[in-house]
Amino acid sequence: MTSVPSESKEKKSRGRFSELLKVEVKLALRTPMGLGMGIGIPIVLLVVFGLIGVANPGNVAGTGLTVIDLYVPTLMVIAFACLGIYVMPLTLVRYREMGWLRRLSTTPESPSRLLAAQSIINLVLALAAILIVIFGSELIFGAPLDVSIPYFVLSVILSIAVMFSLGLVVAALVPSQQVATGACGGLIFLSFFLSGLWVQPAQVGGTLATIMYYSPSGAADRVLLYSVFNATPPYTSMVALVVYAAIFAFIAIRYFRWE
Amino acid sequence: MSQESEQMITVQHLVKRYGDFVAVNDVSFSIKQGEIFGIIGPNGAGKTTAVECISGLRTPDSGSISIYGLSPHKDRNRIRQFLGVQLQESSMPPRLKVGEAVNLFASFYPNPVGPDGLLETLGISHVKNSIFKKLSGGQKQRLSIALALVGNPKIAILDELTTGLDPEARRETWALIESIRDRGVTVILVTHFMDEAERLCDRVALINHGKLVVLDTPEAIAALAGGSRVRFVPSKPVDDKTLYAIPGVKEIERKEAYVTVTGTGDLAASVIDSLARIGVHISDIEARGGNLDDAFVKLTRDDASNASGGVQL
Repeated sequence: MTSVPSESKEKKSRGRFSELLKVEVKLALRTPMGLGMGIGIPIVLLVVFGLIGVANPGNVAGTGLTVIDLYVPTLMVIAFACLGIYVMPLTLVRYREMGWLRRLSTTPESPSRLLAAQSIINLVLALAAILIVIFGSELIFGAPLDVSIPYFVLSVILSIAVMFSLGLVVAALVPSQQVATGACGGLIFLSFFLSGLWVQPAQVGGTLATIMYYSPSGAADRVLLYSVFNATPPYTSMVALVVYAAIFAFIAIRYFRWE
Repeated sequence: MSQESEQMITVQHLVKRYGDFVAVNDVSFSIKQGEIFGIIGPNGAGKTTAVECISGLRTPDSGSISIYGLSPHKDRNRIRQFLGVQLQESSMPPRLKVGEAVNLFASFYPNPVGPDGLLETLGISHVKNSIFKKLSGGQKQRLSIALALVGNPKIAILDELTTGLDPEARRETWALIESIRDRGVTVILVTHFMDEAERLCDRVALINHGKLVVLDTPEAIAALAGGSRVRFVPSKPVDDKTLYAIPGVKEIERKEAYVTVTGTGDLAASVIDSLARIGVHISDIEARGGNLDDAFVKLTRDDASNASGGVQL
């Protein structure tokens, strides 16, 4: 009777993943850090900059764009940064620290599925944030958007890829949740700054503007800005994003630990 | 049943190092189908590392492990389908509900047991809708056991499962482990509680400083403790020299009026006889055989004083 237990097929794998995803969604709703940061912060900032725009109509720094126009891409990048550089890595580091990833790795399920479930949840939140920013700025604050769908889709994919893979680099390299909180907090503020939250690159000009244009979050901001106004994004910023995503993904894959 | 099929898990010359530290040093043993196999030893002895190698969580530096002829490292995907693991000090997402956790784990396995029945058996069905962080220590342990068993495993590895439980919960957990074994599951139990090993295990491997010190039934290991122990109150003071002269006496301990001697042979009779001959009467006599606890202390101490290895049994 002690024959080797038969190998069961992978046929149930879809059912298994849906169960894991369902549980992760429930947990995400019970600990609404993702909802609060990925959706709440963009909504609050949308209202803030929308009202600033209403109070200060007209061009900003001769760009031909109003305040709310300029902040449409910035708010999207902020949502991606919140989800990618803060919510997701902290969740993963917490799971690792509590031994949950290790616990999963003793089952037939792979902990990489948990990473997949987390990515899906945060991507859905990111898409929701995009819709809120686009429609909010256009319908409520009258931004004259003219979205170039192919460039916009490409810009969103690159921007999300860079922000999420940067978050995974943090998750891969930090030893503990405490360090992760500090590292993610620092990185997210830097990303906010470079994406133009406090001051837009068009307003500062010079070297700082160049740095912003080629930083991960600044390049994301720049390609998104062009694509929501039906212009071809500067390919230099596109290339910068591809390079960042490749480097970050390489480091994250190379150094990620399940325990 | 043939000899080979009875040995479902075979560990040969297992070595695992962490840097310069040798956590497991040339350990070999076999585990039989359907037994409760205990791995005991002091903290840091290498028990957990040994079972982590068996469960495929760690890769041995040398030696081999075979589970039904499969390798935990190369065939980990197959082995995981029939191996249930309860990890020492493993936590869960704080807001995960008990029922959700068990259903989730059931979804990982090809032939899970019914989650509801399992929670009932483990006595935690009433907290099915409670989140993990609201559970008591005992409930968390039971949930952890439930997750190890929900996949209907053929082998369950349980690491320090009663640590942190109150005495009543420990006893209930023991009864549960016995019922698991009665269902035909082979159990590998890692513990540093000797009473637990003595009560539950069919065979016990004592590991110290990464080495296998002894492997036998708990009774046989207990007998290695140097036999029995007799405690009494003498009618008048007796010095150590007189006591050591009594046949069989090996060690003496004193506490208030009580004298406890440890030794071999028919110790109680020998003590009563010898002391009567010199006019000392004894009262309050309590005699018992050696237990696993005594053997543990003796064997781990021998091992420390004889670090070159090779314990004389």
